[in-house]
Amino acid sequence: MKTKSVVTESEELQLAIRLINLGARLQLLESHTSLSRERLIKLYKELKGNSPPKGMLPFSTDWFLTWLPNIHSSLFLNIYNFLKINAGIDGIQALATAYELYLEQARELEHTEEFQLTDEPVLSLVRAWTLVRFVQNNLLTIEPCSRCSGHFLVNTYDLNQEYLCNLCHVPSRAGKYQRSTRKSNEDTHASTS
Amino acid sequence: MNPAEQVQDPVVTEIRDANLNYLMLAQQMIRLDKASAIYRLGISQSIADLLDSLSNAQLIKLASSSVMLTRFRFDDAQILGLLTQHNKGYAQSLVHSAILMAGKPVQTIA
Repeated sequence: MKTKSVVTESEELQLAIRLINLGARLQLLESHTSLSRERLIKLYKELKGNSPPKGMLPFSTDWFLTWLPNIHSSLFLNIYNFLKINAGIDGIQALATAYELYLEQARELEHTEEFQLTDEPVLSLVRAWTLVRFVQNNLLTIEPCSRCSGHFLVNTYDLNQEYLCNLCHVPSRAGKYQRSTRKSNEDTHASTS
Repeated sequence: MNPAEQVQDPVVTEIRDANLNYLMLAQQMIRLDKASAIYRLGISQSIADLLDSLSNAQLIKLASSSVMLTRFRFDDAQILGLLTQHNKGYAQSLVHSAILMAGKPVQTIA
């Protein structure tokens, strides 16, 4: 592209700023804007105050199938598909808007007792982006739960007849993470002393 | 009959208030960010465009009906029962209902 439009460039900058604030990494930015790597790094440093993280992106499909991540990614994917079907937006715009709406709900969940885990949202923007590409390439797919008829994320090649979702059929040790037990121990110690 | 003498049912007044509140909020949301408003309200794009274009006078006229303009988003009694059962925690019901609502297509009255 030789003749670059100034308007397009500023729109791309706005998009990049929005994505960086949502937690995007360089790989995501590079594939959705035509801004140069140097400019993106500069922009990232200016917004976040440190260098962008290096290294590989998360690439596992299994992560999306474990209990809490599965619930969160199903929620995100439902929002994303809803926007694509009903709101007439697509691609990176749909991803960013869906992620913002997801974050809003995830924050609400963090205020409750059961899901208090970390300050970070369970599903990061990069994971959400990976998820959308996994679904596009048919590695993961959506299956309606046979009880609540909600749409949940499953592996395409799993046997999913009479599928029960993670919320209708909660696994016995679901949500019991080491961090939360340590935290509750501290709480009991604090209350006894 | 003289309309001034007519005693108005307080419920009807409340419904009108709720209608107007809803319409004003919906319009504000749509003007701010159409895509997320469509998600939050669960309406179709053509309805959103229409609400966006309504003038204040039209809005008030539309609101002054004695029936609710909105209706409940969970139509299935079985699913609603599932969500309101208290055998699972609050957070789980919350996320479950969010997933179900997002998974449902927008409804139109034929």
